[in-house]
Amino acid sequence: MKSVKKNNSNLFYPMLSFVSVILLIGLWLYIAGRSDFPGPHDVWARMMMMFEFPIKGLNIFGHLLASLKRVLIALAFCWTAGLGFGIMLGWNQRLRAFFEPMFSAFRAVPPLAWIPLITLWFGIGEFPKVLIVIIGGLPPVVVNTQAGIANIAQIYMDVGTIFHVNKRQRLFQIALPSALDAIFAGIKNSTSSAWMVVLAAEMLGGKSGVGFLISRGTDSMDMPMMLLSMIAIGIVSAVLAIILNTIERVSCPWLRKGK
Amino acid sequence: MGEDNRKERFLSNEERVAFVQKKKKQSHYWKMMLSISGILCFFISWELLTLSGIVPKQYLASPGEIIKLFVVKINDPNPDGAVIMVNIFSSLKVSLTGFGAAVLVGVPLGWLMGWYRSIDSLVNPIFEIVRPIPPVAWIPLTIVWMGVGLGAKATIVFLSAFIPCVINSYTGIRQTSEVLINVGKTCGASDFTIFYKIGIPSAMTMTFTGLKLAIGNAWSTLVAAEMLAATSGLGYMILQGRNFARTDIIMLGVITIGTIGTIIISLFNSLENIVLGWKKL
Repeated sequence: MKSVKKNNSNLFYPMLSFVSVILLIGLWLYIAGRSDFPGPHDVWARMMMMFEFPIKGLNIFGHLLASLKRVLIALAFCWTAGLGFGIMLGWNQRLRAFFEPMFSAFRAVPPLAWIPLITLWFGIGEFPKVLIVIIGGLPPVVVNTQAGIANIAQIYMDVGTIFHVNKRQRLFQIALPSALDAIFAGIKNSTSSAWMVVLAAEMLGGKSGVGFLISRGTDSMDMPMMLLSMIAIGIVSAVLAIILNTIERVSCPWLRKGK
Repeated sequence: MGEDNRKERFLSNEERVAFVQKKKKQSHYWKMMLSISGILCFFISWELLTLSGIVPKQYLASPGEIIKLFVVKINDPNPDGAVIMVNIFSSLKVSLTGFGAAVLVGVPLGWLMGWYRSIDSLVNPIFEIVRPIPPVAWIPLTIVWMGVGLGAKATIVFLSAFIPCVINSYTGIRQTSEVLINVGKTCGASDFTIFYKIGIPSAMTMTFTGLKLAIGNAWSTLVAAEMLAATSGLGYMILQGRNFARTDIIMLGVITIGTIGTIIISLFNSLENIVLGWKKL
């Protein structure tokens, strides 16, 4: 099926990828040349200008760091609290029955819809933004941990029973390691969701951060600024994904085989 | 535990089955009771919080008030300028338009990318460049290009729903069993015939998972799109509620969004059972 071009395939397919990226950049340059849409050099110039004339005292890296700080504080909380809560729900059926309806109702509301309510309750400082990011990042961790713990292959548990493990060993030495891939999936989802939510939160009211930069660009019709922030946002979320994938590969090497 | 086992040894087969079923029913009943009491606890503590005045009224509306407001909102367009049904339908229109376009473009694209390596290597780099940018970040650019109409909002929803559609149908068709493909080849089917008679049906489960993710994304991004640029819709209603400091309007909007999202997801689950019933043998 795919072996017709076997002789030159090791060159043919990478070439195609290369061509498509070149085409994309060419298209961007072409549009930028024919209209007032900013080209790559405009975006670069805008970034250089930000070093000279910072916005609210911060250049692009300062704003990125401000956003990242919020995300990391929120994620640290999400991962510890989410893991604990998820293990609790996955381990104890009674607790799950008690909390699940409430939790799924909470999960049904998109995190962005909380923004107005949270700003009304807590103002527009740093804490409400972190809180909104927590609301966005918590459900994926809890859901995935719970599912991972609740769906352990019965045979692992039976092996544990044969070796007379106690309840704590059962949880920490059988359940948690075998649920680790599900937990990691949750952590990855929570990171990308947190990064999206922090942007929205900053766009709707903030004094720093990349989301604020984007909305500032919109308000003053500053197209290079909008593109610059979008590119920065894309790069940061790609880097976050790469870091998490690396951690996953290092910390659970037995998952590598299947993928 | 041990006593149970000893008792069971003297039971006949039918009695044992009945015993196990009864136990199962009992634990099911217990769980139902716990779920119901969980919900009741939640609502009672919410109502008590507002009634007792620990949380001032302008910060938290009680469940009763929200239900009352919902009934009023059916006929009264204040304060955001549209009755609730109009808001719901304009939100549904935006999200379903974007979602429909994402499915029509994304699913076939994912299938083709997963099957033909030339398409994969042509499209994948561009896809990987666009993918990490969250849909919310596209909002300003979309406004500049397309204004604030249905098209702009649907585009943002499209961007959020498009990515899970592509990724899941791509992964699904990649997992087509080699045995099935070889059967097709042995019977003399062309590559394209194998693609649409074997590849696509076996990718259906994953594709459907993608559709479910996509509709969830579509519904939650819609709110963001409406919050930033809109004249009606549930997200707009929430934002107006904030502008007038009307907590009850915000909470009504939040609850309506959550309820409709849940209804959409459960509709999709039953649709999956109907369409993919043959998979669950």
